[in-house]
Amino acid sequence: MQKRVVFRSRLLPYLLVLPQIAITVIFFFWPSYQAIESSFFIEDAFGFSREWVGLQNYFELFDDPGYLKSFRTTLIFGVSVAFLAMSIALGLAVAANRVVKAATGYRTLLIWPYAVAPALAGVMWYFMMNPSLGIVAYWLRSLGVDWNHYLNGDQALLLVIVAAAWKQISYNFLFFLAGLQSIPKSMLEAAAIDRAGPVRRFWTIVFPLLTPTTFFLLVVNLVYAFFDTFSLIHATTEGGPVDATSVLVFRVYNTGFIGQDYGSSAAQSVILMALVIGMTFVQFRYVERKVQY
Amino acid sequence: MVENRPFLTFLTHAVLIIGVIFLCFPVWMALVASTHGPEALSRSPIPLWFGDRAWENYSQLLAGGLPEAGGVPIGRMMFNSAIMALVITFGKIAISLISAYAIVYFRFPFRMGFFWMIFITLMLPVEVRILPTFDVVTKLGMLNSYVGLTIPLIASATATFLFRQFFLTIPDELVEAARIDRAGPLRFFWDILLPMSRTNIAALFIILFIFGWNQYLWPLLVTTDESLYTVVMGIQRMVNAGEALPVWHYIMGTAVLALIPPVLVVVAMQKLFVKGLVESEK
Amino acid sequence: MATLSIKSLGKTYPGNVTAVQDVDVEIADGEFIVLVGPSGCGKSTILRMIAGLEAITTGDLHIDGERVNDREPGDRNIAMVFQNYALYPHMSVRKNMEYGLKNEGLPKPEIAKRIEEASRTLRLEEYLDRKPRQLSGGQRQRVAMGRAIVRDPKVFLFDEPLSNLDAKLRTQLRAELKALHHRLGATFIYVTHDQVEAMSLADRIIIMNAGRVEQIGTPMDLYLRPATRFVADFIGSPAMNFIEGTVGEDRRSLAINGTQVLNMGQELPARAGAQVAMGMRPEHLGDAGGADIQVSLQVSFVEQLGADTVVHGNLSGGAQPLAVRLHGVHASEPGSEIALGCGMGHVHLFDTATGARLN
Repeated sequence: MQKRVVFRSRLLPYLLVLPQIAITVIFFFWPSYQAIESSFFIEDAFGFSREWVGLQNYFELFDDPGYLKSFRTTLIFGVSVAFLAMSIALGLAVAANRVVKAATGYRTLLIWPYAVAPALAGVMWYFMMNPSLGIVAYWLRSLGVDWNHYLNGDQALLLVIVAAAWKQISYNFLFFLAGLQSIPKSMLEAAAIDRAGPVRRFWTIVFPLLTPTTFFLLVVNLVYAFFDTFSLIHATTEGGPVDATSVLVFRVYNTGFIGQDYGSSAAQSVILMALVIGMTFVQFRYVERKVQY
Repeated sequence: MVENRPFLTFLTHAVLIIGVIFLCFPVWMALVASTHGPEALSRSPIPLWFGDRAWENYSQLLAGGLPEAGGVPIGRMMFNSAIMALVITFGKIAISLISAYAIVYFRFPFRMGFFWMIFITLMLPVEVRILPTFDVVTKLGMLNSYVGLTIPLIASATATFLFRQFFLTIPDELVEAARIDRAGPLRFFWDILLPMSRTNIAALFIILFIFGWNQYLWPLLVTTDESLYTVVMGIQRMVNAGEALPVWHYIMGTAVLALIPPVLVVVAMQKLFVKGLVESEK
Repeated sequence: MATLSIKSLGKTYPGNVTAVQDVDVEIADGEFIVLVGPSGCGKSTILRMIAGLEAITTGDLHIDGERVNDREPGDRNIAMVFQNYALYPHMSVRKNMEYGLKNEGLPKPEIAKRIEEASRTLRLEEYLDRKPRQLSGGQRQRVAMGRAIVRDPKVFLFDEPLSNLDAKLRTQLRAELKALHHRLGATFIYVTHDQVEAMSLADRIIIMNAGRVEQIGTPMDLYLRPATRFVADFIGSPAMNFIEGTVGEDRRSLAINGTQVLNMGQELPARAGAQVAMGMRPEHLGDAGGADIQVSLQVSFVEQLGADTVVHGNLSGGAQPLAVRLHGVHASEPGSEIALGCGMGHVHLFDTATGARLN
């Protein structure tokens, strides 16, 4: 946790942590405190007066079918993105781990999407799926699928899921590959001597040994899908059609900035903060356990 | 392992090639679309091979921008993006280095309190507290400025942890040797700790540069002045215009321009990037 | 060149953990002092207090008559060589050696001169522009010594400097270190857990146990007249044999476990009925003929070392382990018995309860 020998100085350490702490206090603690505070008030649209209403903002949220639907959408969105991005990445990582020749070449071609902003990923898929001129929409039509995400909410949700998963594959791929490479070769050799074929070896040895990586990625992917994909949705479907892609973070923004309902937006922020803290806690517990390994 | 199964080898390469195609196809389409004129993109199916308007489209974008979306040259937006990404990156690295240094190498009241304060910020992404943060920035008069665009994003728990982790692996004897060599705390930091952290700094630089360049929500909130727009967030205005107008060639051109810098950084510094990514998440 | 005076030195860590207590020693100018003891005995803590890397809880430390308790390590005019070398990994050999001198503000020509001298002494000239990771363990150790030498300190401190090296290199560097001490004539304080290193290097050894000094003396003092059973056990390889028992009425016999009685040729220097441990070094056991003490060893296994043979076993008729070092090659079957004897002059007698020497 700390060094055996430390420097003696009264003022210096405070000066060193000052910038970080100042920014943290001003831009993290103060706003978070304000979010909690204003979630107990109802404010008029011009900010002239406000009224203490206790937990009313929260109660209203859970009475609002729109908000509850948003919860459901977020869950479907998050789970689908995590499942798609992780399973494709695992398949690619297993394949890449087998390749000896051209391994770096494949790796380069598979990791660069990490650098693409979610908003750009969204815009590119939005273009490819555009009902009137998108190439993928055209192919789907020739397969008999009538694609129009402007009208069909499920299709709009599918669009943002695919775009969000597409962007996250590289990240998962890198971690799965690192996990695979850390499995001792001798263990697989022992299994091969025990007459286990490649498929059997994967399910009985490789996959169980990847559990820590998988769990870690699951949490990271869910956090990504819940929060980082705001820009993807904002740049493309803008929550529509009719709230079909309005996930929780998007709703916070919409209620606050477009709807000007600060109290409700703040209450939604507080709920989201609780959610993130919960997920971080789970991850932290898991990290601790990993240390004991 | 001595194992020769031609079918499995074939399958392996097939999986990888399909994966590569799946990942590359959207960018391929963006590249292709950005080299055509509006006419080619108005008939379905749109072409799958390059057109001849690349030069025209890109020079129009970089210098003139898109009149329908405010007419800010994309060159200007990319400049803003670069400023934002670099300030955030260097700022994060600098303040994380010194705060990790203080926490590891000094013993002072509230040391652990500060540590936990920084830790908690990990749990609060900007997205969940958009409105109040916006309020604070407004109150401080930081809207529509580079300062407002960058400073609030400079605190970083991740970088602080990475450096703390790294400092803890540096043998104690090195500090002791430095003290015997008459190096005080600042000299030790500058002469020994900083040069030893070079690889970690470089690896973190890549991750943070991408983080900074790809910021979307923050610039969307704090900039209303179009000359301060960044490219990743500016594209949204074009998409809105694109719904009505045949400007997809410009939008895709902008998308290509916006993804080139971070993708280049990743590809060019692949080894450091992988190291930085895998280690910063531990 | 310096004298060191350590007076009732003690170190207590937060939580009341006492690492070192009541250490008193006067070190003469140019002396080679070795601090030795098992791990956790406090020897490194003493060294680190001398260096100024640990605060001194009680007592005083004077270097050349000046009290230095509260001085920074850089201002004590000492140099230290660490077990893991602690070379700055990003600096070349030359930069590593220069660093302290630059911080001291020495003029450039003076720095260059000192580095040239030191690198010649240590045969490091051709490595000056290399980084530490490009050097072997032995070379790194020499760079660490070079970094100490160029400072021209009053006192050299060594913290187990040879422990990370293989056996052959250790022997070689031990000789070099001894020669270096001779040439520099400076005061050396050296910490090790290896008694062979201590015996071969030291002018005087300070042997420590559980935070206290057990004995201070020349290597031969410690070997020939160990002050406590701990010292007797620690110094010498194979370790000293101990036979515990009760001194008989006539003070000429020792009753072991109440069953066996060992007869002595002379009176024991202990009162009748006292509980004692009688120590005999394996190399001092020999021919039984006419010796003061006669024992019989039942062989369990034999180590043939070439020049010597070490026979391990038990005191016949009991469970008391016993080893003997015989000169030359001997063949002894496990299970067979050997008659051995030891002169009274080689017998060390300790109080079982306190461990203090009785004769």
